[in-house]
Amino acid sequence: MPGPILTEAALTVWRALEGGPADVAELVARTGLDQSQITVVANDGEAGGFIEVETRPRDEVDADAAAPIGDALPERRAARLLSKAGGAMAMAEFVAAAQAAGLAINEVFKWGGARGWIKRDKSGVTLLAQDFEAEQPDEAAVRKSLAGQRFLDEQGGDPEPVRKLLASRDDLAKLRKRTQRILRLTDAARAALAAGVEVRRERNQLTSEDFRSGAWRHTTLRPYDVTLAAADVSPAKLHPVRKIIEQTRRAFLELGFEEVVSPTAEVAFWNFDALFQPQDHPARDMQDTFYMADPARAALPAADVVRAVKRAHEDGGDTGSTGWGYTWHEERARPVVLRTHTTAATIQALARHPQPPYKAFCVGWTYRNETLSYKHLPVFHQVDGIVIDEHANLATLLGVLEAFYRKMGFEKVKFKPAFYPYTEPSVDVMVYMESRKRWIEMGGSGIFRPEVTEPLGCKHPVLAWGLGIERLAMMRLGFNDIRELYQGGLEIVEGVPLCR
Amino acid sequence: MPIVSIDADRLNTLLGKTHPTETLSDALEQIGCDVEDVVAIDRYRCPNCAALVEASLGAETVKVCSVCGHTQEESFAKVDAVTVIRLDLLAARPDLFDIGGLARALKGYLGETRGLPRYEVGPAALVVEVEGSTADVRPYIRCAVVRVPPLDDATLATLMKMQENLHWGVGRDRKLASIGVYDLDRVKGPVRYTTLEPDTHPFEPLGMPGRPMTGRQILTEHPKGVAYAHLLAELPRYPALIDADGQVLSMPPIINGDASRVQVGSRNLFIDVTGISDAAAAHSLHMLVSSLIELGGHAFAVEVRQIAGETLVTPDLTPKSTVIELARAKQWLGLPLDADSLTDALERMRVDVRPLDAGRTSFEVTYPRFRGDIRHMVDLFEDLAIGFGYANIVPAQIPSMTVSVARPEEARSEMVRAGLLGLGYTEIMSLPLTTEADHFEKLRLPVPARYPRVANPKLKALTVVRSHLMTGVLQALHENRRRPMPIRLFEMDNVIRLADGGRNGIAEDRNLCFADVGPDAGYAVARATLDAMLRELGLVAKYEAIEHPTFTTGRVARFTTGTAVQGVIGEVHPEVVVGFGLEYPISLVEMTVSPVDF
Repeated sequence: MPGPILTEAALTVWRALEGGPADVAELVARTGLDQSQITVVANDGEAGGFIEVETRPRDEVDADAAAPIGDALPERRAARLLSKAGGAMAMAEFVAAAQAAGLAINEVFKWGGARGWIKRDKSGVTLLAQDFEAEQPDEAAVRKSLAGQRFLDEQGGDPEPVRKLLASRDDLAKLRKRTQRILRLTDAARAALAAGVEVRRERNQLTSEDFRSGAWRHTTLRPYDVTLAAADVSPAKLHPVRKIIEQTRRAFLELGFEEVVSPTAEVAFWNFDALFQPQDHPARDMQDTFYMADPARAALPAADVVRAVKRAHEDGGDTGSTGWGYTWHEERARPVVLRTHTTAATIQALARHPQPPYKAFCVGWTYRNETLSYKHLPVFHQVDGIVIDEHANLATLLGVLEAFYRKMGFEKVKFKPAFYPYTEPSVDVMVYMESRKRWIEMGGSGIFRPEVTEPLGCKHPVLAWGLGIERLAMMRLGFNDIRELYQGGLEIVEGVPLCR
Repeated sequence: MPIVSIDADRLNTLLGKTHPTETLSDALEQIGCDVEDVVAIDRYRCPNCAALVEASLGAETVKVCSVCGHTQEESFAKVDAVTVIRLDLLAARPDLFDIGGLARALKGYLGETRGLPRYEVGPAALVVEVEGSTADVRPYIRCAVVRVPPLDDATLATLMKMQENLHWGVGRDRKLASIGVYDLDRVKGPVRYTTLEPDTHPFEPLGMPGRPMTGRQILTEHPKGVAYAHLLAELPRYPALIDADGQVLSMPPIINGDASRVQVGSRNLFIDVTGISDAAAAHSLHMLVSSLIELGGHAFAVEVRQIAGETLVTPDLTPKSTVIELARAKQWLGLPLDADSLTDALERMRVDVRPLDAGRTSFEVTYPRFRGDIRHMVDLFEDLAIGFGYANIVPAQIPSMTVSVARPEEARSEMVRAGLLGLGYTEIMSLPLTTEADHFEKLRLPVPARYPRVANPKLKALTVVRSHLMTGVLQALHENRRRPMPIRLFEMDNVIRLADGGRNGIAEDRNLCFADVGPDAGYAVARATLDAMLRELGLVAKYEAIEHPTFTTGRVARFTTGTAVQGVIGEVHPEVVVGFGLEYPISLVEMTVSPVDF
């Protein structure tokens, strides 16, 4: 039978054990290996019948945090007080004296009683022992532990009183239950050593020297338990809302749309008036819209556009509408607001490019004067798209919406009537959410009213739709509190896998 | 949005059929209502005004009356439980706010009664004299009398709710117009619409019999008075309706008197709508009277003697009409319509359709007066589409070809994001509105005399539209401070600054901010990342030492590239680090990636 093949570590341990048994701590000290390496050798050796491992329970005296000892022990100081007073004191007297000395009364009685030094009863407090200055067994144990003898069994003396005294006294020292493992070579191992063993080089990691020198040829990489979990890491990723925004942009770009933008701080004319929103409409209230203090007012577009919009509001102008029947004021169109919707961007794209065919979209922050709650933010993203086309009509609107929402990942889409102020007809888009097993209202859409398009020089029907990005993000990614999205916590990013 | 609960059994009674609740809620969705849900709901009776009060969802007691405001310790008595369809009110369609209006619409949609509803108004049953002093406080008043079958619980509750919803949807929370309803049998005509001194003419407000109050007392002590005091507080005299016996009927737009209040069993209703908008007052009245007729009422006129002497006879429920063209409808909707299907679909929507020419290419459409939402042919196209049925529309594709164009700042942002992800920086996003303290002071920056500033935020301190991204990034580092270091983050978004001569007085840039925090973070780390990023963008930077309050002197530089790309790089000042609750060095770059041209 060929001899065992040992690792270098095993050979080191075996050699260290040739002189006699030793425990793991001793082997660490003697071999320079670490505890886990010795454990591997012990387990392998035990399995091969070369090492016997004996386990013994032992008490470790952990005195690293020891504070009161010797002159600091409160019960000893109390005993001295009693001794000086002749061995007995009335309770009140004793309490006063002990407190003056800075002693905690309950500790004095607890530990003084446990040591059999101090007794209290109706008559007062009595000193029972005179040898209270002698070193106590637990004090000796603490002293030895601090000197390096941490285990009770190596300190000599009777361990029982120490165990009893330290059992509940954490401030002095902690008794820890340890297991001592003593390794011993079997006869088989000694015989193998005598016959000569083959040594194998074993490493956790190959070095570049190993590769260069060819040492890897006779080196074994320590086997791992390949089923164990590894460290938890997450790749650097895009924010989940960004993912949805990018998906939305891609959908529009794939469908042939031009991406457009408009200023964050927008003149009321483009945010409201151009969309046939009457000047006394509640959405224009300070309650609902952020107005800018600086810049507070801005210029209006070309005079002919302003005039046409004014007429649409007042009596419909040439649009065939009755208008709103009020006097439209230029001044009320000048305030600068934080844009309340991205339609402020698409309507300007329409004004720049009123001829068909044209498709434009805008994604961006929009602002509503709200406080923060789990459902609402004063700032959120919207996306808006428009289609100007000779074939634009309600049927093609539904076709465009179907194509768009498919690209957004919703296979099942249905439509219901809705009522929005600047589209006629208006359509709500419902999408079927597999994850929730129900239809969810996802966005609004419609055909711009002629009062919106005609003053801007557009004579064709214009399809328009929009949706809120955060709502989609919350639905799709399962967040419940919208505020979490923008607080900066990385769990929001890490919690959304790339596949979602 | 307020929600209205519609009792399904009662709706069926009005429809004269027994539709399953699901059919009703589907049909309501098909005509454009927002059906929240269908639930069973408990109803309680207010011991004070005897109104039926619906419990909130899930509530097992009712202690506050939604009609008179009465509040008590123990719950009201439960009356019954009913299945209701809960609808979000549609601001644009007040005619669909109540069960009468919904029944009218469903009768057409489900095919029982088509075409225009015909509402007769009987001869004048009351005179209201308008006094000159009202002209400066609340100038418009419109009235009606409606005879109804003796009011039952449910109809009374509907009436109250209708009033509340019209206040919301048409009256702009009673400012433009507000409605008062009285038991005409307890009112002696003629009625005067006048004004009163704030401290004279005490009367018992609704729900407080035996406690007469003056106008001023009502505004300061009565819950409804306190809630709406802002509508009258500035005025020297308060509007009031007074009957021939000198009884104060109401103090619009706040509250009615208790003596003439409508209750179970009332058979003759006097309705007034006062306001500062004639259109809103008339609209509210038409809506309410039309719905009461649907609930079995008969309307009678009121002669309103105006200040100038002429007499206005209200309500005027004469239908209106407009002309639509088949060709335009087909173009607008893209539906396979002909004269017959157009007529059929519109009649389902309760309007009359009459061809104007032999070829039936144009039509006169007659619609009820309360349809204030119709201002253009296209509004009727919407009715036409709904009558046709959205579910019956076959989606079609647009054949024309267009070429997509992405924004230049987005194209560049994509490159930057790819580079930063590759270097291990994770993206965060933060809100573009912030406070002076967070945007300037915590960064040791002086608050500028002028910056893009919001005038009226609900969250008072939220006045700053961000001009840099450092705040959001540092707040995110703070948010993640308990994670293992180092942490690497970036944010890329638009920032704005004041720019006289720019569009709307501002300019916008696409900015980037990235930061490292950890024991090894420092100028060298940030510099390595920055140089790498610039290299990827095909740029070379020049660096120049500067002083910057946010950064440590000697560890901060400005960099330029000869393009719009420029910024600042440095080690964040320890005071800023500590201010954001962090205890490791932070290095940070804030830079412009691209200007945004509008």
